[in-house]
Amino acid sequence: MLGLLGWVPLIPLMGFLILVMAGDQLSRLIISWVGAGSVAVSALLATLIGFEFLDGDMQPYRHIVGSWMTIDDLSVPFGFYLDALSMTMLFVVTGVGFLIHVYSAGFMEDDPGYARFFAYMNLFVSAMLVLVLADNLVLLYLGWEGVGLGSYLLIGFWYDEPNNGYAARKAFVMTRIGDTAMALGLFLLFTQLHTLDIQSLLSLASSQWAPGAVLPVASAALLLGGAVGKSAQLPLQTWLPDAMAGPTPVSALIHAATMVTAGVYLIARTHPLFLLAPTVQLAVAVIGALTLLVAGCSALVQTDIKRILAYSTISQIGYMFLALGVGAWSAAIFHLLTHAFFKALLFLAAGSVISCFHHEHNIFKMGGLRKAMPLTFWSFMIGSAALAALPLTSGYYSKHEILLAAFDASPVLWAVGLLGALITGIYSFRLIFVVFFGAQSQTVEKKPGWLMSVPLLLLAGLALFGGMLQIPLNSVFPVLIDQGNDHTFNLVSVITVASPIIGLLIAVLFYLTGTFSAQRLSDGGLAGTLRQFFLSGWGMDALYETLLVRPFITLSTMNKNDVVDGLYVGVAWLVRGLHRMASATQTGRVRWYGASMVFGAVFIIAIGLLS
Amino acid sequence: MNTEAILAANLLPLIIYFGAILFITAVMLGGAYFLGQRHRAKAADEPFESGVVSTGDVHIRFSVHFYLLAIFFVIFDMETVFLFAWSVALKESGWFGFIEALIFIGILIATLIYLGAIGALDWRTRRQRIDTSQNSR
Amino acid sequence: MNADQLAALAPIITITGAAIAVMLAIAIRRNFLLASGVAAGGILLSMLALGLAWPQSPAQVTLLMLLDDYALFTMALLLVTGLAVLGFCYDYFKDREGENEELILLLLTALLGATVLVASSHFAAFFLGLETLSISLFALAGYPINRARPLEAAIKYLILSGVSSAFLLMGMALIYAQSGELGFSGIGHFIANQPVMNTVVLGGVILIVAGLGFKLSLVPFHLWTPDVYEGAPAPITAFIATVSKGAVFILLLRFFISTDSYGYNPLLSVFSVIAMLSILGGNVLALLQTNVKRMLAYSSIAHMGYLLVAFIAGGSIAPGLVIEAVTFYIVAYFITTTGAFGVVSVLSTPQTEAGDIGFYRGLFWRRPLLAGTFTLMLLSLAGIPVTAGFIGKFYIFTSGADGRLWGLLAAVIAGSGLGLYYYIKIVVVMSMNEEATVRKAEESSGARISSATLAVLSLLLIWFGLFPDHLVSIIQSVSNTVR
Repeated sequence: MLGLLGWVPLIPLMGFLILVMAGDQLSRLIISWVGAGSVAVSALLATLIGFEFLDGDMQPYRHIVGSWMTIDDLSVPFGFYLDALSMTMLFVVTGVGFLIHVYSAGFMEDDPGYARFFAYMNLFVSAMLVLVLADNLVLLYLGWEGVGLGSYLLIGFWYDEPNNGYAARKAFVMTRIGDTAMALGLFLLFTQLHTLDIQSLLSLASSQWAPGAVLPVASAALLLGGAVGKSAQLPLQTWLPDAMAGPTPVSALIHAATMVTAGVYLIARTHPLFLLAPTVQLAVAVIGALTLLVAGCSALVQTDIKRILAYSTISQIGYMFLALGVGAWSAAIFHLLTHAFFKALLFLAAGSVISCFHHEHNIFKMGGLRKAMPLTFWSFMIGSAALAALPLTSGYYSKHEILLAAFDASPVLWAVGLLGALITGIYSFRLIFVVFFGAQSQTVEKKPGWLMSVPLLLLAGLALFGGMLQIPLNSVFPVLIDQGNDHTFNLVSVITVASPIIGLLIAVLFYLTGTFSAQRLSDGGLAGTLRQFFLSGWGMDALYETLLVRPFITLSTMNKNDVVDGLYVGVAWLVRGLHRMASATQTGRVRWYGASMVFGAVFIIAIGLLS
Repeated sequence: MNTEAILAANLLPLIIYFGAILFITAVMLGGAYFLGQRHRAKAADEPFESGVVSTGDVHIRFSVHFYLLAIFFVIFDMETVFLFAWSVALKESGWFGFIEALIFIGILIATLIYLGAIGALDWRTRRQRIDTSQNSR
Repeated sequence: MNADQLAALAPIITITGAAIAVMLAIAIRRNFLLASGVAAGGILLSMLALGLAWPQSPAQVTLLMLLDDYALFTMALLLVTGLAVLGFCYDYFKDREGENEELILLLLTALLGATVLVASSHFAAFFLGLETLSISLFALAGYPINRARPLEAAIKYLILSGVSSAFLLMGMALIYAQSGELGFSGIGHFIANQPVMNTVVLGGVILIVAGLGFKLSLVPFHLWTPDVYEGAPAPITAFIATVSKGAVFILLLRFFISTDSYGYNPLLSVFSVIAMLSILGGNVLALLQTNVKRMLAYSSIAHMGYLLVAFIAGGSIAPGLVIEAVTFYIVAYFITTTGAFGVVSVLSTPQTEAGDIGFYRGLFWRRPLLAGTFTLMLLSLAGIPVTAGFIGKFYIFTSGADGRLWGLLAAVIAGSGLGLYYYIKIVVVMSMNEEATVRKAEESSGARISSATLAVLSLLLIWFGLFPDHLVSIIQSVSNTVR
């Protein structure tokens, strides 16, 4: 079974090829079978491989499919590496991916670009699988860029609308900034350690480099750059809310469950490097903490249902970074797993709501859907509860673990995380109360079919009980040194549990019972300004606009008639002039032709005699 | 003394001579141009300013037959010259020369047949030919 | 003269016989197919006769001709090209009014002149061959006598060719006056025995270069080229561009090597100037040309300039490499140019000559195979890899670099850059989709021989581009014999 590892990313790739080449000729049914089926086969394989892997005491398994390139001392094989970490990611990508594909078959059924959609989705899944299974950094980078491409194509899927294209471009460019840093990191690692094979590279680094030395700090910082871009963390987070321009299943798959968590995976995968660079690891924690707060505040005031979820995604990935930063590696991956479940659930449920309301995104134009769409409502409830980390949901287990680990590292980080949890509670239930309670403002046109309902049910189950999963990551990560603090029933633990519940209560007061009015609060001068500030994502876009985009455009306008180009234009101009002059000699008159021959003869005789 | 030195020494008078020619020609033509009178009268452009005004086109078409006649004469005349040269050295050139001459004459005969077949030796004009063919009918 | 020498002369005799046979065939029965068939048979026989001549080589036949391996090889090249041109001529003229049979006859006499030229080792054979070739070409260029352009082309070519012959004869006379020799080897001995450079002989050689420069359309003797190329019927243009120029260039090379004129350094500077002017002038003139035939004419000027670079390199590198480079380039140039003009000739109708670039608009959509062939030929002219033209240009670079002719190589590079522009321009025009120009009636499928010829040429082009070794080894084996 393990030998079939190579087929896991290959099958979606074949699905992509089939759909790209023959997509127009196939019926919708076949398209959906190819699109979802390839991921299903992949998921099945992954499950079988998983069982065997667990049976074999989780011995890391390496599978070399073939050589990709060999240049000098650089040799890059198509090699896949399976350990507990990549196994977990494999489950997330194929499992959640499969459910989202099934959902998409229903969600996109009226879309003219049906085949194109599934082709892109399959391409994405394939690239993501390459990313998580890669056993060398170059192959990982291939997957890394592959998912970037898939993301770009799918954000701009409805390309008729120029804004979608801009959003896609923005996502691509912003992540590209991080990718550049990451590529530099790869070059640095290769030039220093002469290998790109991840495992040997990490062991080499641990044995050759002293902790805190320049090289590990630099390479870890560059890798962090890549992770920050891909995972939409400060300061490169601005692309993710705009990326919601894509179809909702895309947001669920790429911008919630899988691709955006690739940064977390990257750091977890290369964690020995980060252990060698404590400053960078601290930076990871600080970035995570800041991001979760900043994005949480923005989520508080958004009115677009998908943007709320987008900011919450950024915020939750912030938690993962926080966990990575404090060394709680397994907690980070655990949160990644649960987050994939409940955020995919939330997005899919949001997709149902949106499709019922003719692609209406404004939550204040919805309302009272509790009765009309019970399944969606309950899915949303479960998802939000898990997001807010209410006890007994999956999110609770993972987030709780993160916060406790943060407390052990630094109470300040813990406090920030706590505040974030409070805010999470507020905005997630604000969303529910606004959308599902109150008066029903519009009639529901169409109810989700079974294709959309079944994935919701399954994901709801996972979001609820996914916390019970014991993922065996100890074989990969160093066990946290137990500091002897038993948090089970102490004050820290209680406060940690309580904060999201307080958030929930605040939301109840504001949005359910109407005891306080958010409207009145934000009408005030300072609060209103703050609201605007949060709404615009802390003004980051405007900042980049003035700091980078404007100067760049000014520069390029100044250089509109490319200075260097002038040289070539000049050459062309010169040659044209010469052509005109030379053409003037072609008079067509024989007497001139004859005379010119005589002149020519005299000329060459002169050269011959005088030289 | 190397070649170039010889050249340069020999060239100098030549260059002076060439310059002198240029100078004299320029003086003669330029002098006439600057000192001569200008007429803008209509008759000034006539070939014979004071003669009879010419009529008709000077490009008269001659029948190509005259040209053909001339060219045939030249060709066959040239061939006799070759044969004459051979006849003088008949003994010396021997059988080999004889065969060569035979080939030469053979080619000439072939050419003659060809010319006859394409009607190049028919001296009549086209009109005459049409008349003949009508008469014979 | 003995039997061996006769055997060595067999190819030339066969061609002569073929010409007479065609003449008699016309006299007996005027039929274009018959005349073409006899001519094709004659050329094929002549190629067979090359096999007869091969064992005799090198054979000095009288004072006039030297039939060595190289001469026989180039004769074969000329004969094959002549056959291809004959094929194009057949398709081009078969549906035209008038008596077209004499065209075939003239083609054979021109071919005869060219074969004599490449084998000549004496001024007399040289001049006779050249004039036989040229006089046939005047008539060929002006063959469609009822049209203004061909007639203009013929008259221009006639008059200017007369001027060039005058230069040539004057040059020969000067050399003879000094050396008392007309044979190439005799002149070589004379030059070798001169203690100092003989200025009069040098002047004579330069005058000969001027005369041959006209035939090769080198700047500054190039002005006739576009007018004649444009005016002459396309297959005849192909003949002028390939057989005529190739034979003259090979003669020039033989003359230089056997008389060892490379010893005259001033000559090399003369050639350098001519090559530089030809490369730049030809390309610059071709740049904005909108008539494809004229453009190809200008580009042929540039190509002769490229050839000269390899030729000049002979001043400092071994003659073997020069001959190899020049010969390979000539072969590639023959294939390419014949193919390019072949396409023009296939596209031409009795009403219009396919000169204007508008004729080629959207050709890819109308006749994709033809357009593909043309593209291939143009790419080869531009020296793009995979084509024989690339290998040829590579040879030019190699020999130029070996001879340290950096200035000329810079000109070659600049010229190639310019060349790419106007070659690709035609390809672009051909791929434009212009629905309006689609004229179904024009779709003629009657050019079967031409199409087959073009297919063979394309295959050869790719074959020599991918596997030049075969051709190179043949050229190497024949070029060793040249002295």
